[in-house]
Amino acid sequence: MKRYFAFTAACLLLFQSAVPQIINKGPLSERQTYYKIDARLNPDSKTVSCEMEAYWVNKSGDLVPDMQLHLYMNAFKNNKTTFNKGLDMSQADNKNDFGWIEIKSFTDGKGNNLLDRMSFISPDDNNRDDQSVIRIVPENPAKPGDTLFIKVRFETKLPVGSFRTGYSDDYFFVAQWFPKFGVYEPAGMRYAVKGGWNCHQFHRNSEFYSNHSVYDVKITVPSDYVTGSGGLLLNEEKESDGKNKTLTYRAEDIADFAWTAWPGYAVFNEEWNHVKITLLIPHIRKDQVERQFRAVKNALEYLTEKVGPYPWPYLTFVDPPTKGSFACGMEYTTLFTSMSGDKMPEFLHWPEMVTVHEFGHAYFMGILASNEFEEPWLDEGVNSFWEERIVDHYWGENSGLIDNPLLKISDKSFSRSSYIGSSNRQVITNREYSWNYPHGTYDMMSYNKTATILYTLMGLIGEETTNEVFREYYKRWAFKHPSGKDFINVVNEVVKSKLGDRFGPDMNWFFDQTIYGTGIVDYKVNRFSNEKIRDFTGILSEADTQRFVTNVTKDDTIYKSTVELYRPGDVMLPVDILIHFDDGDTINESWDGKDRFKDFFYTGERKIDWVKIDPGYKIRMDVNFTNNSMTENPDRVPLRRYMDKFVIFMQYFLNIISL
Amino acid sequence: MKILLYLKSGAGRSFNAWRGILITWVTVLFLISLLVLPVKSGFKGMLGSSMITEQLKDTVNIDVISDLQQEIGAILPVIGAGFLLVCFFGFLLNIFLTGGIFTLLSNKQSSKSSSLFFSGGASNFWSFLIINVIITAIIILSVIVISVIPIMILSQSNSGNPEPGIMGKTVRIALIILALLLPVLLLVADYARAWQADNSEKKPFKAIGFGFMRTFKTFFLSYPLMLTVILVQAGYGALVIYKLMPAKPSAAGDVFLFFMLSQLLFIIKILMRIWRYGCITSAFEDVIAVQKDYQDMTGEVVSPV
Repeated sequence: MKRYFAFTAACLLLFQSAVPQIINKGPLSERQTYYKIDARLNPDSKTVSCEMEAYWVNKSGDLVPDMQLHLYMNAFKNNKTTFNKGLDMSQADNKNDFGWIEIKSFTDGKGNNLLDRMSFISPDDNNRDDQSVIRIVPENPAKPGDTLFIKVRFETKLPVGSFRTGYSDDYFFVAQWFPKFGVYEPAGMRYAVKGGWNCHQFHRNSEFYSNHSVYDVKITVPSDYVTGSGGLLLNEEKESDGKNKTLTYRAEDIADFAWTAWPGYAVFNEEWNHVKITLLIPHIRKDQVERQFRAVKNALEYLTEKVGPYPWPYLTFVDPPTKGSFACGMEYTTLFTSMSGDKMPEFLHWPEMVTVHEFGHAYFMGILASNEFEEPWLDEGVNSFWEERIVDHYWGENSGLIDNPLLKISDKSFSRSSYIGSSNRQVITNREYSWNYPHGTYDMMSYNKTATILYTLMGLIGEETTNEVFREYYKRWAFKHPSGKDFINVVNEVVKSKLGDRFGPDMNWFFDQTIYGTGIVDYKVNRFSNEKIRDFTGILSEADTQRFVTNVTKDDTIYKSTVELYRPGDVMLPVDILIHFDDGDTINESWDGKDRFKDFFYTGERKIDWVKIDPGYKIRMDVNFTNNSMTENPDRVPLRRYMDKFVIFMQYFLNIISL
Repeated sequence: MKILLYLKSGAGRSFNAWRGILITWVTVLFLISLLVLPVKSGFKGMLGSSMITEQLKDTVNIDVISDLQQEIGAILPVIGAGFLLVCFFGFLLNIFLTGGIFTLLSNKQSSKSSSLFFSGGASNFWSFLIINVIITAIIILSVIVISVIPIMILSQSNSGNPEPGIMGKTVRIALIILALLLPVLLLVADYARAWQADNSEKKPFKAIGFGFMRTFKTFFLSYPLMLTVILVQAGYGALVIYKLMPAKPSAAGDVFLFFMLSQLLFIIKILMRIWRYGCITSAFEDVIAVQKDYQDMTGEVVSPV
């Protein structure tokens, strides 16, 4: 026992002295894990042969009896894995289509074989065909402060590219490719009741929850391959026969390490402040280079200003070719992939949107390393909110996504429509683990509904307070593992300090109804009316006599105006009301939205001519903006214009189809 | 030089057929109104007294569309069915109108009256229908063989990952071939219809045979003629659509003016279509007037085509 600890301590010292800080001046995270990998790509067999040394430090106060690691490539091993059940690979019938990790040796720091102590576990669904998580029980449990070293020799067989990782012909995107430690969560961390490993199987809808680590990775590929990775390139040398080359990368404080290799990449470099940006893009898409760099620089600028600094001095991003489209739209903090086509019209900002989104994950998942498996909204949803803000800010508030004279679509509207338009928008809350979303609601709930919720929050508390919330969230939780509750706590504190008790003692009421609720927001102007006030009409008793007083209008210009508002939706949010009178005057009212209805009454010489609930369209969760307003004189001009254009279209269409 | 004369003669004939132009415009507009007016009423009903139309001032607003998805979803099948019906009846109506127009364009007829137009449309209808259906079928078949099949083969080969750019090249080549082929097929159709309008005996297959014969016999004269007319028409059509569709008249009066302008431009489009028919009719008849004009201009004697 003593010998073991002495050995591990020596190794730790050895590692720490052998891997000095290279990229940043000091560690950004507490670095509970470390990986040193020597990998060789074999393009013919579609495999990567690897030797890996890694360690995990027990920074908890617990006695940890085991360790759990992800073997995510095994998710592609057969058609019965949790990832594959009934999906893509069920159609695969060629051995080369599948992917897996073959562990050839597994030892601890002393060289003791751990293969015998290794077993596959399926903590999420007890699926015996799934081998994407292993559990190793070393001879001795890890005491607080202990470091567990492992040395693994393994070969990763890449699957044919269908989802995130794999190969297609000579194109390789190597992700989820090495044994990676799960996260040990002591009691209290992310509100865990008791300590334990958080190491989920590989699911279709989520992939990230890891400790921030240092990676020293050597990758050997054929000399004509162009590579990119999440690390900083330290060295590149050709082997003596000139056929292969070895690239040495270092990455610090990132949650995952992935890389790509393909002979067809063109490489472009630009800088933004302290960040050296590298873009790998197919030669045929060289005309999109400027667009891609502009997108990533805009995202860097916006997030740095409104959330916090991007701490790494480098960034690599990839626009995969058509045959590598399986790797599109993925994030590995300092490496991410965009999504485009060989021809992409200027008015369609799809590549920009994907680039901004995937870069944003450097913050929401990379730096603020929430658990995507258990709280996907905190990762994808929060990131989508920022993506939409950035895209619409730089490419047009009403035309962020599509900017064509005939059609303009903002990113936030596109996202909202995905939520509003879903017939399953009320089937589940955002409290679920990523694989539990029914009826294909994962994307809508995690991305679109959450982003729309956060826009609604911003509509209530204001843009600057929202930015302050995220600055504080970053300050408090950067390079840690925040939970949804931690985020909400930050919201509560910042809103209270900025806006006092305007929204009550906290904002839990908001999140309980939206993130953790299934209700919808809908407000409606039921009707408004202007009735002339009539003088007394009826039987008037005077002394002993009674006389009938006729219906005489007191004054034609005096009206009793009534506004009737109704809340068909379940969610109760405060809303602004704007009431406009025919003399041009307006009255601003507010409604806490707690009752099902609200009436306003006015008396005077003027008549109401229109009423609007939420005139600024800030409550973007409202599922029907159409019923938010009512006017006596609806503007039909746009409709007539569209119908005129429809007539023109039909005339020319009929002209074309008739010879 | 003959091409210029045909173009000129065609223009003169099309102007003379102004009654046909107006009848075509009115009937097509009426047919389209049968679809557009109910659609307009449907949208009016959906929007009610809402002020959401302020969101539609710039372009179509996806927020509004998604808010009204249920209502739009309810009338969408009706719009789809209405669209198909209008296309079907528009196709038939155009055949009838074309029959009348070819009759008016013929130099055989000194009168260009409306009654002649309608009687020509009626008498030519069935044979024109067969000609149109056959030529349309050939065009559709050509599109399938030249563009759809190669693209499908290409997209299914190499595991759905064709070499970068090859798809674009294939599409471009297919479009060029189709663009070159289309004038040939239109020539066949126009010569066939000109022949049929000129003959009291209704023999559509013989007319198509004549169309092919005449097209290839006078290919180096007819093809540039048709290409010129098509390019002018397509350029005009593209310009009008390019200018009209993004226009955003914002006041009620402006919208009315916009509609009137669009209709005027469409009448010119019909005129240009009839100009094409006129040119081909001229070439078909190889009219004496054309020869005379040419002689007056150049002093040379024009030999028949």
